[in-house]
Amino acid sequence: MQFKFIFRSMLKNKVFSGINILGLTVGIAAVLLIYRVVSYELSFNKNFKNYDSLVRVVGESVDDGTGQGYSVCIPVPAGEVLRTNITQFDKKSRVKETWNSLTVPNPGGGTPLKKFNTTNDVTAFFADPDFCEMLDFQWVSGDAAASLAEPNTIVLTRDWATKFFGKWEDAVGKTLLIDNIYPVTVKGVFEEMPVNCDFNFPFVISYSTLKGKEDYFYLGDNDWDSCSSNNQVYAQLSDPTQLAAADAAVRRVGEKEYVSKKTGQRMKTHYLQPISELHFNENFNNSGTHIVPKSRLKLLSAIGLLILALACFNFINLATAQASLRAKEVGVRKTLGSGRGQLIGQFMSETGVIVAISLLLGVGIANLASPLLSFVSEVPRSLPFLSNPTVWAFLALTGVVVTALAGLYPSLTLAGFQPVKALRSNAEKSLTGGAGLRKSLVVLQFVIAQCLIIGAIITILQLDYIRSQDLGFKKDLVYTFGFGSDSLSMLRQSALRQTLAKVPTVESVSFSSDQPSSTNTWSSDFRFANRPETEPFATTLKFADENYQATYSIKMLAGRWLAASDTMREAIINKTMLKKLGLNDPNEAVDQVFHLWGSRELRIVGVTDDFHTHSLRHEHMPLTLTNDKKFLWQAGVKIRPDNLPSTLAAIQAAFDEVMPEQVFEGQFLDEEIAKFYEDDRRLAATCKGFGLLAVFISCLGLFGLATHAASQRVKEIGVRKVLGASTTGIIGLLSKDFLTLVVLSLVIASPLAYWLMDKWLQDFEFHTKIHWWVFVLTGVLALVVAFATVSYQSVKAALANPVKSLRSE
Amino acid sequence: MIKTVQLSKVYRTDEVETTALNSVDIEIKAGEFVSVMGPSGCGKSTLMNVLGMIDNPSAGEYFFNEQEVGKLSERKRADVRKNNLGFVFQSFNLIDELTVYENVELPMLYTKVPAGERKKRVEELLEGMNIMHRKNHFPQQLSGGQQQRVAVARAVVNKPKLILADEPTGNLDSANGDEVMKILADLNASGTTILMVTHSQYCAEFGNRIIRMLDGKVVTENVVKRYL
Repeated sequence: MQFKFIFRSMLKNKVFSGINILGLTVGIAAVLLIYRVVSYELSFNKNFKNYDSLVRVVGESVDDGTGQGYSVCIPVPAGEVLRTNITQFDKKSRVKETWNSLTVPNPGGGTPLKKFNTTNDVTAFFADPDFCEMLDFQWVSGDAAASLAEPNTIVLTRDWATKFFGKWEDAVGKTLLIDNIYPVTVKGVFEEMPVNCDFNFPFVISYSTLKGKEDYFYLGDNDWDSCSSNNQVYAQLSDPTQLAAADAAVRRVGEKEYVSKKTGQRMKTHYLQPISELHFNENFNNSGTHIVPKSRLKLLSAIGLLILALACFNFINLATAQASLRAKEVGVRKTLGSGRGQLIGQFMSETGVIVAISLLLGVGIANLASPLLSFVSEVPRSLPFLSNPTVWAFLALTGVVVTALAGLYPSLTLAGFQPVKALRSNAEKSLTGGAGLRKSLVVLQFVIAQCLIIGAIITILQLDYIRSQDLGFKKDLVYTFGFGSDSLSMLRQSALRQTLAKVPTVESVSFSSDQPSSTNTWSSDFRFANRPETEPFATTLKFADENYQATYSIKMLAGRWLAASDTMREAIINKTMLKKLGLNDPNEAVDQVFHLWGSRELRIVGVTDDFHTHSLRHEHMPLTLTNDKKFLWQAGVKIRPDNLPSTLAAIQAAFDEVMPEQVFEGQFLDEEIAKFYEDDRRLAATCKGFGLLAVFISCLGLFGLATHAASQRVKEIGVRKVLGASTTGIIGLLSKDFLTLVVLSLVIASPLAYWLMDKWLQDFEFHTKIHWWVFVLTGVLALVVAFATVSYQSVKAALANPVKSLRSE
Repeated sequence: MIKTVQLSKVYRTDEVETTALNSVDIEIKAGEFVSVMGPSGCGKSTLMNVLGMIDNPSAGEYFFNEQEVGKLSERKRADVRKNNLGFVFQSFNLIDELTVYENVELPMLYTKVPAGERKKRVEELLEGMNIMHRKNHFPQQLSGGQQQRVAVARAVVNKPKLILADEPTGNLDSANGDEVMKILADLNASGTTILMVTHSQYCAEFGNRIIRMLDGKVVTENVVKRYL
């Protein structure tokens, strides 16, 4: 009987039931989508059996002026000490991240039979044997224990083994070439790593293979000063409770070696990062596709909860506005003996049914809308969702919470009606309370919606600002790609340059360690001119050839660009470096000696204006550019805009001709730079998408309240019309109350959004201003949308024949 | 069955104090059919609400079956009400979303009557009221007379000791009004005590005693004489 009654009641109040179900459906779908993102990100690395015991050694240096205090890099001798001296480590592995090509050698020589490259998003490893056990490799073939014990051995994932050998079963014992030079023997095949972990390597090569290979920057066994962020150490604790003891032991490593001879200050300390932080701590790179700070997940969760709360507010508003219409029923039921508890139960079940319907629809919509998640997150489309039991538990919890949130207050209000008042003929008017609450909730809804819209506009403006910002170099029409850093590739650099230059639409070709703007940081101490001491700040280093300035149109302030050279002889510094050195005139720096890495003496030949070496989040850093063939592995090709497809095809053909064993992967520099702001683009999309949803849900509620208000004021409108009120006057009368609330919400939302967005913009060293018109625009938009929402009911009421409305009263 | 001693009810707003019942002393014995008459605003409905335990008196005592019920909590009043009283209202007060059958069944859900028994009683009553053929209709699909018959059926379904009827014929034409009054008279004849508020002398005379009220006080009490 209860369910029949609820459905009849819903049918009777189609508009209000529709508004409630639609609002809750949208809210629930939004929360589900956000749950999908958040639960996916939070699940990272949790499937490792020893999740609680796995750690990585990281380090923190005294800020050397480059702002790069945090690092995952471990110098080779420190890695050795960590591997042998930390007793709390049950298993340990040095690793080196690597992005090589692998080829199946051609027995007859020449072009390899097959070649595959790791892409930017996929990181392979050199690693010690313990690594496989620590990360629960699921072996499908090969001798697991011995796999990485010997030098020149490799283990592959099943997919990669299949790619190379047709059948993965045939892989073990076969030979592959790293970068078409170094042979390695396949010792094992393992299942792909799960998608929700920060290790997506297609292969792992034994760490001992690295030893002595300069091509892979195996830095000196005794060199505590040099390290690359690719060199890291992972370990498994004998027991998770040993974390503090192990951390203390790790902090003692390098106690003498990291002390500055000049100041006596310890410059670097290592400590442990539990694997549970690998996916969330932006201070340290990981080897996966992305890092998500937990603050971002919290923001996303908060937005989801707010959207759901907005829908609950609609429910509360409409239920309390309409409470008086149910007064008679409450009066009758109470008179017939219903207790307050029974009535609360009844009204809560009614809410429960509406929530249950919304849940079902919400699941459907979330499922349909899941492809849209790629705009705001990294969740793979293929990831199963509804088959996951935790999703259903989450849904059940959502159902209970929403039912309580939306239903409790109206139920208590309704069930609290006194029968003697509820049965009076004028009960409808005397029992319509809660107007203050309704107004507050509408204001709150529009505050949330407008904050999100202001947030969206400001993030979009900042992205536009970034796009239009002069980076200090030209990023357009430069096509970039990488090539091998091995000795063989080095020998073929000039052949590659000449072949590329032959393409008629190529204007210039430059090889470098990285592009003017990149995510890489290579820094070093140095000594300037005849100053006796090392400078108290480090310089960022870039290696570039003689064409770099022309290719990227970098502005010179003094001197000239680097001359062609195979080794480090000359240097260019930037304006920030000049200032940090205490020089005012760029010409003062030209011809001075620059002492690098202890023994290298470079002559400064020019000074450039500052250009952005990193994303706009970073300030300008002191920069030194020098030339060394050994460190050139990125090509930048400046092309003319005519006939792009054939130009790109010709560039790839040139590459394939000179470096046939390597895999070509090219992209435009502006696309590469745009990737720096991928996270910001996602934030903008999140604010935009959820802001629009918030506006939609708020307007749904407004429409419901306007409908209710118009029906409550039928008699008043009739009397006013009879007394001569105009149609526009009536529309104004009915709309004014709601529009006042929207204006009030803008007054509250503006400073709040300003504060939040100003905080966000402070993350960028270079950022747009928050313009006053953003708030005006948001307010006007909100008012227009709100007016359009309530005007339907206002116009309908204003045009109604007063005779009819008065008679019906 | 009912005895009031100096029963008063005062409504207070910020500025106005209205005395709806002023020291009312009445007594109604089991099996009586008492009609309450008086002009609008004289306190008839307030008396009905207080005696029906849907409102509390401000002062005085109210004994129902010799138990003082005037100061009971809402929950206890609800218990006494559902087990002893039946209500018939001028505006019927049927629940729009429930069918005729479900409206009549409703009080038994609150007294936890077993399903089989509920069905039996509802059908018997609907047959008796001659509206069985309308059992699956909704109130708004019925005529006023039919609606009031459903309301009477609902009032008596729990076999109450007392029926409180507030202007039961107020919204009905004379034919339908007559029919409802006959049903009430029959119920009284079979032992149910009835207290009815009415403006109509004709209806009042269906009872065996008439209490007249003015300004919250009982002014006269007359026994109805029947001339056969």
